[in-house]
Amino acid sequence: MGRLSRILHLEWDGDTRDAFSDSHARFQAGRMGMWLFLITLGILFASTIFAFVVVRLQPDPATGWRPTDEPGIPGILLISTAVLLASSWTLTRASAAIVGDQRRQGRQWIERSLILGSLFLVLQAVGWIDMWRAGVYIDSSLYGWTFYVLTGLHAVHVLGGLIPMGVVAARARRGTYSRLSHSGLTYCSMYWHFLAGVWIVLYLTLWLGSM
Amino acid sequence: MTTLEAHKPETLDIHASSDNYLTHSKGFISWACTLDHKRIGVMYLVGVLGAFFVGGIFAILVRTELLAPGPTIVGPFAKWMGMDPADVYNQWFTLHGAIMVFLVIIPSIPAALGNFILPVMLGAKDVAFPKLNLFSFYLWVIGALMAVLSLLMGGFDTGWTFYTPYSTTSPAGGVIPIVAGAFILGFSSIFTGMNFIVTIHKLRPPGMTWFKMPLFLWAIYSTAIIQVLATPVLAITLLLLIIERTVNIGIFNPSMGGDPVLYQHFFWFYSHPAVYIMIVPAMGIVSELISVHSHRHIFGYRFIAFSSVAIAMFSFIVWGHHMFTSGQSALMNTIFSAISFSVGIPSAVKVFNWTITLYKGNISLNTPMLYGLAFLFLFTIGGLTGLHLATLSVDVHLHDTYFVVAHFHYVMMGSALIAMIGGLHHWWPKITGRMYNENWGRFAWVLVFVGFNVTFFTQFMLGSQGMPRRYYDYLPEFQTYHVISTVGSYIMSVGFFITAGYLLASLVNGKRAPANPWGGRSLEWQCPSPPPHDNFKTPPRVGDCYDFSIVRWSDEENGYVVDRSLDPSLRENPTPAKGH
Repeated sequence: MGRLSRILHLEWDGDTRDAFSDSHARFQAGRMGMWLFLITLGILFASTIFAFVVVRLQPDPATGWRPTDEPGIPGILLISTAVLLASSWTLTRASAAIVGDQRRQGRQWIERSLILGSLFLVLQAVGWIDMWRAGVYIDSSLYGWTFYVLTGLHAVHVLGGLIPMGVVAARARRGTYSRLSHSGLTYCSMYWHFLAGVWIVLYLTLWLGSM
Repeated sequence: MTTLEAHKPETLDIHASSDNYLTHSKGFISWACTLDHKRIGVMYLVGVLGAFFVGGIFAILVRTELLAPGPTIVGPFAKWMGMDPADVYNQWFTLHGAIMVFLVIIPSIPAALGNFILPVMLGAKDVAFPKLNLFSFYLWVIGALMAVLSLLMGGFDTGWTFYTPYSTTSPAGGVIPIVAGAFILGFSSIFTGMNFIVTIHKLRPPGMTWFKMPLFLWAIYSTAIIQVLATPVLAITLLLLIIERTVNIGIFNPSMGGDPVLYQHFFWFYSHPAVYIMIVPAMGIVSELISVHSHRHIFGYRFIAFSSVAIAMFSFIVWGHHMFTSGQSALMNTIFSAISFSVGIPSAVKVFNWTITLYKGNISLNTPMLYGLAFLFLFTIGGLTGLHLATLSVDVHLHDTYFVVAHFHYVMMGSALIAMIGGLHHWWPKITGRMYNENWGRFAWVLVFVGFNVTFFTQFMLGSQGMPRRYYDYLPEFQTYHVISTVGSYIMSVGFFITAGYLLASLVNGKRAPANPWGGRSLEWQCPSPPPHDNFKTPPRVGDCYDFSIVRWSDEENGYVVDRSLDPSLRENPTPAKGH
């Protein structure tokens, strides 16, 4: 196999093309890249919310925004909001522990965040099932459509945050992070706090819109 | 001998060796998994030029169909595909537009040439995030494959703008794949932009302050800002469109209280800035071409740099001028019209500065320079006709006529693409290590330039006389213009085929390129052609990248060299050769 891959040139040269002089410069660039990424995502969510507001302000005169037989935003979303905020808080504890060189506590706080983050998604799913049972479907009204699309959009991003957080948890278990070197955890936290902030705005928008 | 070396230490570094980025490693995987910005740039270039060929075929189909009123060549295609001739024509111009915009012009300069040149211009080893860079490239590939998938699933006929409700109700089977493809291409563009912003912020070499950067980098930087800020709006719009088409209800559907004009607002909030994603890097290339090939310091460096940023800013507040006839309020129309005029100011600032750079310059009419001059001419026409269209009362008449088509092509093709081809010739020796045949280059340029004007200037007349866009049939009175325009497009195609021919031939039998064939000062010319795997063995010395007074021709190198003995400020204190 090794010989075959040599003949076919199937090996990668292994050059990571690192252009930075030291790990601190690399971390600063990574943090700037992360900020730009969050700005991009912020614009994505902001324009989604803007579109929601535009259609909400000019509802169909015949049916109104929320048809009378469709319930408001499910109450369980309040609990999921609390869970997401808690996960954000546990992640700040994780960073504090790692900076304080308490690696074991750091690892535990990351794992707690991972559990709370997963629980948030479960609760969101319960919220969808509640709406579904109450007869609100994605194609029954724009009220239902926007509810599923906006919460779904956020849930996809949460899912996209849980995967790197899982990697961070595995690395923390292996003891990769130290007081001076924990850039992966920092990037993960930035993204996670951002998602918590977006969710609060999104939740308030949906809740006000449903009235 | 030692004194000579003392005066030009750079020459020790600039000789091409057998180990360059092309020969560093071999085989499919060494390209497919490469993190080298140069190889990624070359792969983009191959992909973009391939897409340009496909988009060009559809352009020629469209122009050939328009040779005569009524069905000309759509008939057999319509019979074969079991469709109405009008639908076949709709698919052709839609494919031409979507491929050229999303797969060719948007990635052409930043992703293909930018990727190759930007880190070398900075004297850096690579971009800030090489893995993300490769990921962007694969997103581009997936986007291109989605376009192919869309064709296999029945194509799409919505126009490249995917306007609702056409796009949500069109019976064509390939709408969702192409919209998803544009969504994915958007992320490719965003990640490339992020990468370039961070690279320019964090990897400039010591001594290269913001105002010592080559103007191409200012242009790429402004472009990257637009890419990062505007593209997410397109992403969400396309996503909502896909959901709407899938479940048959959505916020752009008026039947349940949605708003189709909201789609247009969102689309143009991205796509107007997107035309600057296409033109601003082209302006960056032109700044390099004009200055290097007239061997004269660029005039008004700061004005050109800031006007790039100004155009980027303005680009976000003029989108409504695409919608003067979409039922916006008169007040909105007036505001958008007024702001649109103001884009003319930074654009004109650039044109004036380039023109003054030429004045008393020692102009070498090399192929890149010819394309640079073509840009000046064509962009002026494209820009000035933009003022006609920004004028409300005129636009109501010209909207959706060939006048808009002509204006758009003067700016997007005559300017953005022509500058891209100029840049390709300018950096071809650097990228491939070979010189192309200059006489063939000039000859092909004449065909492209003449063909372009014959094709599109005619369309200004067609449009002002009322020939509407997007029809395969027309009144007999328009035929003369249409025939002239089509003949022009054939001339241009011949020019492009010749270009492809001599560029490919240069790879086989082109002369070896010196490090600095044109007499440039920016750092990529202080690096061998083609550059080695790590770009620079020793960090290059940063100087004024437009000061050509210390650049001289060297017969020995068969190219230009930077000779610091020509610099009076350095003469008393020559740089020691040791250490180089």
